Amino acid sequence: MESDKSSKSLMFSGRILNRIGRVCLSSTAGKLLMLLFQAVRSIFSPSRSFHTDSNNVIAQVFFTGVQIFPVMFIIATLFGTVTIIQALTVMPRVGFSDSFGSLMVIVLVRELGPIITAFLIAGRSGSALTSMIGSMSINSEVDALATMGVNPIRYLVMPSLIGGIIAMLMMNILFSVSGICAGFIATKLLIAITGNVLNVHISWHYLSSSVLSALTPTDFVMTVVKPVCFAVIIVINACYQGLSIRQDSRQIPKATSRSVIYSFLYIVVTDVALSLFYIFQYFQAMSKII
Amino acid sequence: MSEALKIENMHFSYRAQDADQDDDASGFWNRLGFSGFSEKLAREEVLSGINLSLGYGETLCITGASGQGKSLLLRLIAGLEMPTDGTFYYFGEHVPNHLHTALNIALRGVGFVFQNSALVSNLNVHDNVAMPLSYHKIGSEEERAERVNMALDLMRARSEKDKYPHMLSSGMQKRVAIARAWAMNPKLLLLDEPIANLDVYNRRTLIPLIDNMRTLFHTAIIIVTHNLQIAEELNCNICILHDRILTPPHSFDFWLHSDDAIAQDLFRDLRKE
Repeated sequence: MESDKSSKSLMFSGRILNRIGRVCLSSTAGKLLMLLFQAVRSIFSPSRSFHTDSNNVIAQVFFTGVQIFPVMFIIATLFGTVTIIQALTVMPRVGFSDSFGSLMVIVLVRELGPIITAFLIAGRSGSALTSMIGSMSINSEVDALATMGVNPIRYLVMPSLIGGIIAMLMMNILFSVSGICAGFIATKLLIAITGNVLNVHISWHYLSSSVLSALTPTDFVMTVVKPVCFAVIIVINACYQGLSIRQDSRQIPKATSRSVIYSFLYIVVTDVALSLFYIFQYFQAMSKII
Repeated sequence: MSEALKIENMHFSYRAQDADQDDDASGFWNRLGFSGFSEKLAREEVLSGINLSLGYGETLCITGASGQGKSLLLRLIAGLEMPTDGTFYYFGEHVPNHLHTALNIALRGVGFVFQNSALVSNLNVHDNVAMPLSYHKIGSEEERAERVNMALDLMRARSEKDKYPHMLSSGMQKRVAIARAWAMNPKLLLLDEPIANLDVYNRRTLIPLIDNMRTLFHTAIIIVTHNLQIAEELNCNICILHDRILTPPHSFDFWLHSDDAIAQDLFRDLRKE
Protein backbone atom coordinates (compact mmCIF):
# COMPACT_ATOMS: atom_id res chain seq x y z
CA MET A 1 0.00 0.00 0.00
CA GLU A 2 2.74 2.42 1.00
CA SER A 3 4.82 1.72 -2.09
CA ASP A 4 1.68 2.25 -4.19
CA LYS A 5 1.15 5.62 -2.52
CA SER A 6 4.75 6.70 -3.03
CA SER A 7 4.72 5.69 -6.70
CA LYS A 8 1.50 7.66 -7.20
CA SER A 9 3.01 10.75 -5.59
CA LEU A 10 6.14 10.31 -7.73
CA MET A 11 3.99 10.10 -10.87
CA PHE A 12 2.09 13.22 -9.78
CA SER A 13 5.25 15.21 -9.16
CA GLY A 14 6.66 13.90 -12.46
CA ARG A 15 3.57 15.13 -14.29
CA ILE A 16 3.90 18.56 -12.66
CA LEU A 17 7.59 18.76 -13.60
CA ASN A 18 6.73 17.65 -17.14
CA ARG A 19 4.07 20.38 -17.38
CA ILE A 20 6.48 23.02 -16.03
CA GLY A 21 9.14 21.88 -18.50
CA ARG A 22 6.71 22.05 -21.41
CA VAL A 23 5.51 25.54 -20.41
CA CYS A 24 9.10 26.78 -20.01
CA LEU A 25 10.23 25.31 -23.33
CA SER A 26 7.23 26.70 -25.21
CA SER A 27 7.96 30.23 -23.96
CA THR A 28 10.18 32.55 -26.00
CA ALA A 29 12.87 32.52 -23.31
CA GLY A 30 12.82 28.71 -23.27
CA LYS A 31 13.17 28.51 -27.04
CA LEU A 32 16.00 31.05 -27.04
CA LEU A 33 17.86 29.07 -24.37
CA MET A 34 17.23 25.83 -26.25
CA LEU A 35 18.57 27.38 -29.46
CA LEU A 36 21.69 28.55 -27.60
CA PHE A 37 22.13 25.09 -26.10
CA GLN A 38 21.74 23.46 -29.53
CA ALA A 39 24.21 25.90 -31.11
CA VAL A 40 26.83 25.26 -28.42
CA ARG A 41 26.26 21.50 -28.62
CA SER A 42 26.61 21.57 -32.40
CA ILE A 43 30.21 22.83 -32.06
CA PHE A 44 31.15 19.31 -30.95
CA SER A 45 29.07 17.46 -33.59
CA PRO A 46 30.82 14.75 -35.66
CA SER A 47 30.45 16.90 -38.78
CA ARG A 48 32.88 19.52 -37.46
CA SER A 49 35.58 20.50 -39.89
CA PHE A 50 38.22 22.99 -38.81
CA HIS A 51 38.77 24.25 -42.35
CA THR A 52 35.08 24.86 -43.19
CA ASP A 53 34.16 26.11 -39.73
CA SER A 54 37.06 28.56 -39.53
CA ASN A 55 36.19 29.89 -43.00
CA ASN A 56 32.55 30.43 -41.94
CA VAL A 57 33.57 32.06 -38.67
CA ILE A 58 36.08 34.38 -40.40
CA ALA A 59 33.37 35.38 -42.91
CA GLN A 60 31.04 36.13 -40.03
CA VAL A 61 33.69 38.18 -38.14
CA PHE A 62 34.34 40.12 -41.34
CA PHE A 63 30.62 40.80 -41.83
CA THR A 64 29.79 41.52 -38.18
CA GLY A 65 32.95 43.32 -37.13
CA VAL A 66 35.23 44.53 -39.90
CA GLN A 67 32.54 45.95 -42.20
CA ILE A 68 30.94 47.87 -39.36
CA PHE A 69 34.23 49.29 -38.06
CA PRO A 70 34.27 52.62 -40.02
CA VAL A 71 30.82 53.62 -38.72
CA MET A 72 31.65 52.40 -35.24
CA PHE A 73 34.96 54.32 -35.27
CA ILE A 74 33.21 57.58 -36.17
CA ILE A 75 30.57 57.07 -33.47
CA ALA A 76 33.24 56.15 -30.90
CA THR A 77 35.31 59.26 -31.64
CA LEU A 78 32.22 61.48 -31.52
CA PHE A 79 31.06 59.97 -28.22
CA GLY A 80 34.59 60.29 -26.79
CA THR A 81 34.67 63.94 -27.82
CA VAL A 82 31.20 64.67 -26.43
CA THR A 83 32.02 62.96 -23.14
CA ILE A 84 35.22 64.91 -22.60
CA ILE A 85 33.67 68.22 -23.68
CA GLN A 86 30.82 67.74 -21.21
CA ALA A 87 33.34 66.78 -18.53
CA LEU A 88 35.55 69.80 -19.28
CA THR A 89 32.65 72.18 -18.89
CA VAL A 90 31.08 70.59 -15.81
CA MET A 91 33.77 68.88 -13.72
CA PRO A 92 36.00 71.89 -12.89
CA ARG A 93 32.91 73.67 -11.56
CA VAL A 94 32.25 70.91 -9.05
CA GLY A 95 35.91 70.52 -8.14
CA PHE A 96 36.64 67.22 -9.90
CA SER A 97 38.91 68.47 -12.69
CA ASP A 98 41.44 65.68 -12.00
CA SER A 99 38.93 62.86 -12.46
CA PHE A 100 38.93 62.63 -16.26
CA GLY A 101 40.38 59.12 -16.20
CA SER A 102 37.68 57.75 -13.91
CA LEU A 103 35.01 59.46 -15.97
CA MET A 104 36.31 58.03 -19.24
CA VAL A 105 36.50 54.57 -17.70
CA ILE A 106 32.97 54.77 -16.28
CA VAL A 107 31.34 56.30 -19.33
CA LEU A 108 33.25 54.73 -22.22
CA VAL A 109 34.78 51.47 -21.00
CA ARG A 110 32.03 50.34 -18.66
CA GLU A 111 28.85 51.56 -20.32
CA LEU A 112 28.94 53.32 -23.68
CA GLY A 113 31.50 51.01 -25.30
CA PRO A 114 29.65 47.72 -24.83
CA ILE A 115 26.15 49.20 -25.18
CA ILE A 116 26.74 51.29 -28.33
CA THR A 117 28.75 48.50 -29.97
CA ALA A 118 25.96 46.03 -29.16
CA PHE A 119 23.29 48.40 -30.50
CA LEU A 120 25.26 48.92 -33.72
CA ILE A 121 25.82 45.20 -34.23
CA ALA A 122 22.17 44.38 -33.38
CA GLY A 123 20.95 47.08 -35.78
CA ARG A 124 23.17 46.07 -38.65
CA SER A 125 24.32 42.47 -38.33
CA GLY A 126 21.44 41.14 -36.20
CA SER A 127 18.82 42.49 -38.57
CA ALA A 128 20.77 41.22 -41.61
CA LEU A 129 21.04 37.77 -40.01
CA THR A 130 17.30 37.67 -39.31
CA SER A 131 16.37 38.66 -42.85
CA MET A 132 18.90 36.23 -44.35
CA ILE A 133 17.65 33.25 -42.31
CA GLY A 134 14.05 34.41 -42.80
CA SER A 135 14.50 34.47 -46.59
CA MET A 136 16.10 31.04 -46.44
CA SER A 137 13.14 29.76 -44.39
CA ILE A 138 10.64 31.14 -46.89
CA ASN A 139 12.54 29.66 -49.86
CA SER A 140 12.58 26.28 -48.03
CA GLU A 141 16.39 26.43 -47.91
CA VAL A 142 16.40 25.75 -44.15
CA ASP A 143 14.13 22.74 -44.66
CA ALA A 144 16.31 21.63 -47.59
CA LEU A 145 19.37 21.67 -45.32
CA ALA A 146 17.55 19.45 -42.82
CA THR A 147 16.43 17.02 -45.55
CA MET A 148 20.09 16.62 -46.55
CA GLY A 149 20.98 15.76 -42.97
CA VAL A 150 22.71 19.15 -42.56
CA ASN A 151 21.80 20.59 -39.17
CA PRO A 152 20.59 24.16 -39.89
CA ILE A 153 21.74 25.23 -36.43
CA ARG A 154 25.21 23.88 -37.06
CA TYR A 155 25.31 25.44 -40.55
CA LEU A 156 23.66 28.81 -39.84
CA VAL A 157 23.61 29.62 -36.12
CA MET A 158 26.90 28.24 -34.79
CA PRO A 159 29.29 30.17 -37.11
CA SER A 160 27.27 33.35 -36.53
CA LEU A 161 27.48 32.85 -32.77
CA ILE A 162 31.25 32.35 -32.65
CA GLY A 163 31.87 35.06 -35.25
CA GLY A 164 29.55 37.43 -33.40
CA ILE A 165 31.34 36.88 -30.08
CA ILE A 166 34.81 37.46 -31.60
CA ALA A 167 33.63 40.54 -33.52
CA MET A 168 31.87 41.99 -30.48
CA LEU A 169 34.95 41.55 -28.27
CA MET A 170 37.17 43.25 -30.87
CA MET A 171 34.73 46.07 -31.54
CA ASN A 172 34.19 46.75 -27.84
CA ILE A 173 37.91 47.19 -27.18
CA LEU A 174 38.36 49.28 -30.33
CA PHE A 175 35.39 51.46 -29.36
CA SER A 176 36.82 52.23 -25.92
CA VAL A 177 40.33 52.92 -27.26
CA SER A 178 39.00 55.07 -30.12
CA GLY A 179 36.74 56.99 -27.75
CA ILE A 180 39.49 57.75 -25.24
CA CYS A 181 42.00 58.72 -27.95
CA ALA A 182 39.44 60.94 -29.69
CA GLY A 183 38.54 62.52 -26.36
CA PHE A 184 42.18 63.35 -25.74
CA ILE A 185 42.66 64.83 -29.22
CA ALA A 186 39.46 66.86 -28.86
CA THR A 187 40.67 68.24 -25.53
CA LYS A 188 44.03 69.22 -27.01
CA LEU A 189 42.25 70.91 -29.91
CA LEU A 190 39.94 72.77 -27.56
CA ILE A 191 42.88 73.96 -25.48
CA ALA A 192 44.70 75.08 -28.62
CA ILE A 193 41.64 76.93 -29.94
CA THR A 194 40.47 78.53 -26.71
CA GLY A 195 43.98 79.36 -25.42
CA ASN A 196 43.35 77.41 -22.23
CA VAL A 197 40.36 79.49 -21.16
CA LEU A 198 39.02 76.28 -19.66
CA ASN A 199 42.06 76.12 -17.36
CA VAL A 200 42.65 72.42 -17.97
CA HIS A 201 46.12 70.88 -18.13
CA ILE A 202 45.96 67.47 -19.67
CA SER A 203 48.71 65.38 -21.25
CA TRP A 204 48.55 61.95 -22.90
CA HIS A 205 50.67 60.54 -20.09
CA TYR A 206 48.32 62.03 -17.47
CA LEU A 207 45.16 60.79 -19.24
CA SER A 208 46.45 57.28 -19.94
CA SER A 209 47.80 56.80 -16.42
CA SER A 210 44.57 58.10 -14.85
CA VAL A 211 42.50 55.81 -17.10
CA LEU A 212 44.68 52.80 -16.23
CA SER A 213 44.60 53.57 -12.50
CA ALA A 214 40.81 53.96 -12.63
CA LEU A 215 40.40 50.52 -14.17
CA THR A 216 39.50 47.85 -11.61
CA PRO A 217 39.77 44.05 -12.00
CA THR A 218 35.98 44.00 -12.45
CA ASP A 219 36.38 46.30 -15.47
CA PHE A 220 38.76 43.83 -17.11
CA VAL A 221 36.35 40.96 -16.42
CA MET A 222 33.40 42.99 -17.70
CA THR A 223 35.32 43.95 -20.88
CA VAL A 224 35.06 40.27 -21.75
CA VAL A 225 31.78 39.24 -20.05
CA LYS A 226 29.58 42.06 -21.36
CA PRO A 227 30.45 41.73 -25.08
CA VAL A 228 30.16 37.93 -24.88
CA CYS A 229 26.69 38.18 -23.26
CA PHE A 230 25.54 40.86 -25.70
CA ALA A 231 26.83 38.95 -28.75
CA VAL A 232 25.05 35.77 -27.59
CA ILE A 233 21.83 37.76 -27.10
CA ILE A 234 22.04 39.45 -30.51
CA VAL A 235 22.91 36.34 -32.53
CA ILE A 236 20.56 33.90 -30.80
CA ASN A 237 17.66 36.37 -30.88
CA ALA A 238 18.32 37.21 -34.56
CA CYS A 239 18.52 33.53 -35.56
CA TYR A 240 15.45 32.64 -33.51
CA GLN A 241 13.41 35.39 -35.17
CA GLY A 242 14.61 34.28 -38.61
CA LEU A 243 13.94 30.58 -37.98
CA SER A 244 10.45 31.33 -36.63
CA ILE A 245 9.28 32.80 -39.94
CA ARG A 246 6.84 30.58 -41.76
CA GLN A 247 6.00 30.65 -45.47
CA ASP A 248 5.01 34.30 -45.63
CA SER A 249 7.30 37.05 -46.92
CA ARG A 250 5.37 39.68 -44.92
CA GLN A 251 6.91 38.16 -41.81
CA ILE A 252 10.47 39.17 -42.76
CA PRO A 253 10.22 42.92 -41.96
CA LYS A 254 8.22 42.10 -38.81
CA ALA A 255 10.79 39.56 -37.66
CA THR A 256 13.67 41.94 -38.49
CA SER A 257 12.19 44.75 -36.41
CA ARG A 258 11.44 42.29 -33.58
CA SER A 259 15.03 41.07 -33.77
CA VAL A 260 16.43 44.61 -33.32
CA ILE A 261 13.95 45.84 -30.71
CA TYR A 262 14.11 42.71 -28.53
CA SER A 263 17.90 42.66 -28.81
CA PHE A 264 17.97 46.26 -27.51
CA LEU A 265 15.64 45.31 -24.66
CA TYR A 266 17.55 42.17 -23.67
CA ILE A 267 20.89 44.03 -23.91
CA VAL A 268 19.74 46.82 -21.58
CA VAL A 269 18.24 44.34 -19.09
CA THR A 270 21.48 42.29 -19.13
CA ASP A 271 23.54 45.47 -18.76
CA VAL A 272 21.56 46.45 -15.67
CA ALA A 273 21.99 42.96 -14.23
CA LEU A 274 25.75 43.00 -14.88
CA SER A 275 26.05 46.52 -13.41
CA LEU A 276 25.00 45.04 -10.06
CA PHE A 277 28.52 43.57 -9.82
CA TYR A 278 29.84 47.13 -9.48
CA ILE A 279 27.48 47.69 -6.55
CA PHE A 280 28.81 44.54 -4.87
CA GLN A 281 32.32 45.77 -5.55
CA TYR A 282 31.44 49.17 -4.03
CA PHE A 283 29.95 47.52 -0.92
CA GLN A 284 33.04 45.34 -0.56
CA ALA A 285 35.29 48.41 -0.78
CA MET A 286 33.14 50.28 1.74
CA SER A 287 33.11 47.37 4.18
CA LYS A 288 36.94 47.28 4.05
CA ILE A 289 37.09 51.03 4.90
CA ILE A 290 34.55 50.69 7.73
CA MET B 1 10.89 -6.54 -44.44
CA SER B 2 11.77 -5.52 -48.01
CA GLU B 3 9.88 -2.22 -48.21
CA ALA B 4 11.77 1.02 -48.53
CA LEU B 5 8.86 2.79 -46.84
CA LYS B 6 5.83 1.60 -44.94
CA ILE B 7 3.28 3.86 -43.27
CA GLU B 8 0.55 2.40 -41.10
CA ASN B 9 -2.58 4.25 -40.03
CA MET B 10 -1.00 7.70 -40.02
CA HIS B 11 -3.01 10.73 -38.95
CA PHE B 12 -1.98 14.34 -39.06
CA SER B 13 -3.73 17.30 -37.47
CA TYR B 14 -2.57 20.85 -37.30
CA ARG B 15 -3.75 23.93 -35.50
CA ALA B 16 -5.90 26.38 -37.42
CA GLN B 17 -3.34 29.05 -38.23
CA ASP B 18 -4.12 32.66 -37.72
CA ALA B 19 -2.97 34.84 -40.62
CA ASP B 20 -1.43 37.36 -38.21
CA GLN B 21 0.30 34.76 -36.09
CA ASP B 22 4.01 35.46 -36.09
CA ASP B 23 5.40 32.27 -34.66
CA ASP B 24 5.26 28.87 -36.31
CA ALA B 25 5.98 26.72 -33.28
CA SER B 26 5.86 23.29 -34.89
CA GLY B 27 8.09 24.23 -37.81
CA PHE B 28 10.57 25.85 -35.47
CA TRP B 29 10.87 22.82 -33.21
CA ASN B 30 11.11 20.38 -36.10
CA ARG B 31 13.95 22.42 -37.57
CA LEU B 32 15.68 22.26 -34.21
CA GLY B 33 15.30 18.52 -34.15
CA PHE B 34 12.87 18.64 -31.24
CA SER B 35 9.37 17.30 -31.56
CA GLY B 36 6.42 16.75 -29.30
CA PHE B 37 6.02 20.27 -27.94
CA SER B 38 3.33 21.31 -30.42
CA GLU B 39 1.08 18.26 -30.21
CA LYS B 40 -1.23 19.93 -27.68
CA LEU B 41 -2.02 22.62 -30.25
CA ALA B 42 -3.44 20.12 -32.74
CA ARG B 43 -6.98 20.93 -33.79
CA GLU B 44 -7.82 20.21 -37.39
CA GLU B 45 -7.32 16.78 -38.99
CA VAL B 46 -5.80 17.02 -42.46
CA LEU B 47 -4.74 13.44 -43.16
CA SER B 48 -6.55 10.43 -41.79
CA GLY B 49 -5.68 6.73 -41.68
CA ILE B 50 -2.92 6.92 -44.29
CA ASN B 51 -1.42 3.55 -45.26
CA LEU B 52 1.40 3.38 -47.76
CA SER B 53 3.97 0.82 -48.81
CA LEU B 54 6.77 1.16 -51.35
CA GLY B 55 9.47 -1.32 -52.35
CA TYR B 56 13.03 -0.65 -53.52
CA GLY B 57 13.21 0.38 -57.17
CA GLU B 58 9.51 1.24 -57.26
CA THR B 59 8.00 4.57 -58.22
CA LEU B 60 4.73 5.85 -56.83
CA CYS B 61 2.82 8.94 -57.89
CA ILE B 62 0.55 10.71 -55.44
CA THR B 63 -2.01 12.98 -57.01
CA GLY B 64 -5.17 14.81 -56.02
CA ALA B 65 -6.82 18.18 -56.21
CA SER B 66 -5.04 21.25 -54.83
CA GLY B 67 -5.12 21.68 -51.06
CA GLN B 68 -5.70 18.01 -50.26
CA GLY B 69 -2.35 17.67 -48.45
CA LYS B 70 -0.13 15.96 -51.05
CA SER B 71 2.93 18.07 -50.33
CA LEU B 72 2.16 17.82 -46.63
CA LEU B 73 2.23 14.02 -46.89
CA LEU B 74 5.64 14.25 -48.57
CA ARG B 75 6.88 16.61 -45.82
CA LEU B 76 5.61 14.12 -43.23
CA ILE B 77 7.53 11.30 -44.90
CA ALA B 78 10.65 13.51 -44.98
CA GLY B 79 10.25 14.33 -41.28
CA LEU B 80 9.63 18.03 -41.81
CA GLU B 81 6.31 17.65 -40.00
CA MET B 82 5.53 15.37 -37.09
CA PRO B 83 2.57 12.99 -37.43
CA THR B 84 -0.17 13.13 -34.80
CA ASP B 85 -0.45 9.36 -34.86
CA GLY B 86 0.71 6.37 -36.88
CA THR B 87 3.73 4.19 -37.50
CA PHE B 88 6.56 4.80 -39.94
CA TYR B 89 9.02 2.16 -41.15
CA TYR B 90 12.01 3.33 -43.18
CA PHE B 91 13.94 0.51 -44.87
CA GLY B 92 12.36 -1.99 -42.55
CA GLU B 93 13.16 -0.07 -39.38
CA HIS B 94 10.51 1.50 -37.16
CA VAL B 95 11.06 5.20 -36.47
CA PRO B 96 9.26 6.31 -33.29
CA ASN B 97 7.52 9.67 -33.24
CA HIS B 98 10.08 11.37 -31.00
CA LEU B 99 12.80 10.56 -33.60
CA HIS B 100 10.62 11.63 -36.52
CA THR B 101 12.69 14.66 -37.50
CA ALA B 102 14.05 15.67 -40.89
CA LEU B 103 17.66 15.27 -39.73
CA ASN B 104 17.14 11.72 -38.45
CA ILE B 105 15.21 10.62 -41.51
CA ALA B 106 17.68 12.18 -43.97
CA LEU B 107 20.52 10.30 -42.27
CA ARG B 108 18.64 7.03 -42.89
CA GLY B 109 18.85 7.63 -46.65
CA VAL B 110 15.81 9.69 -47.64
CA GLY B 111 16.30 12.49 -50.17
CA PHE B 112 13.87 15.32 -50.86
CA VAL B 113 13.49 17.62 -53.86
CA PHE B 114 11.38 20.68 -53.16
CA GLN B 115 8.89 22.16 -55.59
CA ASN B 116 10.89 25.40 -55.71
CA SER B 117 14.24 23.49 -55.80
CA ALA B 118 15.42 25.28 -52.60
CA LEU B 119 19.06 25.55 -53.66
CA VAL B 120 21.25 27.43 -51.18
CA SER B 121 21.39 30.84 -52.81
CA ASN B 122 24.91 31.85 -51.75
CA LEU B 123 26.54 28.65 -53.08
CA ASN B 124 27.20 27.87 -56.73
CA VAL B 125 25.87 24.71 -58.39
CA HIS B 126 29.00 22.65 -57.61
CA ASP B 127 29.06 23.72 -53.96
CA ASN B 128 25.31 23.13 -53.61
CA VAL B 129 25.77 19.51 -54.67
CA ALA B 130 29.04 19.06 -52.76
CA MET B 131 27.86 20.70 -49.51
CA PRO B 132 26.01 17.73 -47.97
CA LEU B 133 28.86 15.40 -48.98
CA SER B 134 31.52 17.52 -47.31
CA TYR B 135 29.27 18.14 -44.28
CA HIS B 136 28.92 14.39 -43.74
CA LYS B 137 32.60 13.86 -44.70
CA ILE B 138 31.65 11.26 -47.30
CA GLY B 139 34.80 9.99 -49.07
CA SER B 140 38.00 11.89 -49.80
CA GLU B 141 38.16 15.26 -51.52
CA GLU B 142 38.73 13.57 -54.91
CA GLU B 143 35.92 11.06 -54.38
CA ARG B 144 33.52 13.86 -53.48
CA ALA B 145 34.48 15.85 -56.59
CA GLU B 146 33.99 12.73 -58.69
CA ARG B 147 30.57 12.07 -57.15
CA VAL B 148 29.47 15.69 -57.68
CA ASN B 149 30.51 15.50 -61.33
CA MET B 150 28.71 12.17 -61.72
CA ALA B 151 25.50 13.60 -60.23
CA LEU B 152 25.69 16.67 -62.45
CA ASP B 153 26.42 14.49 -65.50
CA LEU B 154 23.43 12.29 -64.69
CA MET B 155 21.21 15.36 -64.63
CA ARG B 156 23.04 16.95 -67.59
CA ALA B 157 23.90 20.02 -65.54
CA ARG B 158 27.71 19.87 -65.42
CA SER B 159 28.14 22.80 -67.78
CA GLU B 160 26.41 25.04 -65.23
CA LYS B 161 28.49 24.06 -62.22
CA ASP B 162 30.06 27.48 -61.65
CA LYS B 163 26.78 29.36 -61.83
CA TYR B 164 24.71 30.52 -58.86
CA PRO B 165 21.04 29.46 -58.46
CA HIS B 166 19.65 32.84 -59.51
CA MET B 167 21.51 32.52 -62.85
CA LEU B 168 19.74 29.24 -63.71
CA SER B 169 16.40 28.55 -65.36
CA SER B 170 13.78 26.81 -63.20
CA GLY B 171 14.29 23.60 -65.19
CA MET B 172 18.02 23.65 -64.54
CA GLN B 173 17.44 24.51 -60.86
CA LYS B 174 15.23 21.43 -60.62
CA ARG B 175 17.91 19.25 -62.20
CA VAL B 176 20.54 20.57 -59.82
CA ALA B 177 18.20 19.95 -56.87
CA ILE B 178 17.70 16.34 -58.02
CA ALA B 179 21.48 15.98 -58.52
CA ARG B 180 22.05 17.31 -54.99
CA ALA B 181 19.59 14.81 -53.53
CA TRP B 182 21.00 11.97 -55.65
CA ALA B 183 24.61 12.72 -54.67
CA MET B 184 23.80 11.57 -51.15
CA ASN B 185 22.88 8.18 -52.64
CA PRO B 186 19.34 8.08 -51.20
CA LYS B 187 17.47 4.80 -50.98
CA LEU B 188 14.18 6.71 -51.07
CA LEU B 189 13.74 9.91 -53.06
CA LEU B 190 10.78 12.25 -52.56
CA LEU B 191 9.98 14.61 -55.43
CA ASP B 192 7.48 17.42 -54.96
CA GLU B 193 6.05 18.50 -58.33
CA PRO B 194 9.28 17.76 -60.27
CA ILE B 195 7.90 18.92 -63.62
CA ALA B 196 5.75 21.85 -62.47
CA ASN B 197 6.43 25.11 -64.33
CA LEU B 198 8.67 23.35 -66.86
CA ASP B 199 8.36 23.65 -70.60
CA VAL B 200 7.66 20.61 -72.79
CA TYR B 201 11.33 20.11 -73.70
CA ASN B 202 12.47 20.16 -70.07
CA ARG B 203 9.65 17.80 -69.07
CA ARG B 204 10.63 15.34 -71.80
CA THR B 205 14.25 15.34 -70.72
CA LEU B 206 13.66 15.26 -66.96
CA ILE B 207 11.26 12.29 -66.84
CA PRO B 208 13.73 9.77 -68.38
CA LEU B 209 16.43 11.09 -66.02
CA ILE B 210 14.20 10.30 -63.04
CA ASP B 211 13.47 6.86 -64.49
CA ASN B 212 17.22 6.26 -64.95
CA MET B 213 17.76 6.78 -61.24
CA ARG B 214 15.18 4.12 -60.43
CA THR B 215 16.47 1.54 -62.91
CA LEU B 216 20.21 2.12 -62.48
CA PHE B 217 20.37 2.66 -58.72
CA HIS B 218 17.25 0.85 -57.51
CA THR B 219 16.03 4.00 -55.76
CA ALA B 220 12.47 4.03 -54.45
CA ILE B 221 10.78 7.21 -55.68
CA ILE B 222 7.62 9.00 -54.54
CA ILE B 223 6.40 11.78 -56.79
CA VAL B 224 3.71 14.27 -55.86
CA THR B 225 2.27 15.73 -59.02
CA HIS B 226 -0.76 17.23 -60.70
CA ASN B 227 0.56 16.15 -64.07
CA LEU B 228 -0.47 12.54 -64.58
CA GLN B 229 1.50 12.17 -67.81
CA ILE B 230 4.59 11.67 -65.66
CA ALA B 231 2.90 8.60 -64.13
CA GLU B 232 2.06 7.30 -67.59
CA GLU B 233 5.59 7.81 -68.87
CA LEU B 234 7.19 6.28 -65.77
CA ASN B 235 4.66 3.43 -65.88
CA CYS B 236 4.16 3.65 -62.12
CA ASN B 237 1.28 3.19 -59.68
CA ILE B 238 -0.87 6.13 -58.66
CA CYS B 239 -2.51 6.94 -55.30
CA ILE B 240 -5.16 9.64 -55.08
CA LEU B 241 -5.37 11.80 -51.99
CA HIS B 242 -8.85 13.11 -51.46
CA ASP B 243 -10.79 14.25 -48.42
CA ARG B 244 -7.95 13.32 -46.00
CA ILE B 245 -7.76 9.74 -47.27
CA LEU B 246 -5.18 8.13 -49.56
CA THR B 247 -6.48 5.47 -51.92
CA PRO B 248 -4.56 2.20 -52.48
CA PRO B 249 -2.12 2.35 -55.42
CA HIS B 250 -3.37 1.36 -58.86
CA SER B 251 -1.96 1.56 -62.36
CA PHE B 252 -2.49 4.49 -64.71
CA ASP B 253 -4.84 2.42 -66.88
CA PHE B 254 -6.92 1.36 -63.87
CA TRP B 255 -7.58 4.97 -62.87
CA LEU B 256 -8.09 6.06 -66.47
CA HIS B 257 -11.00 3.66 -66.85
CA SER B 258 -12.23 3.83 -63.27
CA ASP B 259 -15.80 4.81 -62.40
CA ASP B 260 -14.60 6.67 -59.34
CA ALA B 261 -15.88 10.25 -59.53
CA ILE B 262 -12.63 11.78 -58.25
CA ALA B 263 -10.54 9.73 -60.68
CA GLN B 264 -12.87 10.70 -63.51
CA ASP B 265 -12.41 14.34 -62.59
CA LEU B 266 -8.60 14.08 -62.37
CA PHE B 267 -8.23 12.03 -65.56
CA ARG B 268 -10.82 13.99 -67.59
CA ASP B 269 -8.29 15.67 -69.90
CA LEU B 270 -6.37 12.44 -70.47
CA ARG B 271 -9.59 10.55 -71.30
CA LYS B 272 -10.38 13.05 -74.05
CA GLU B 273 -6.97 12.42 -75.62
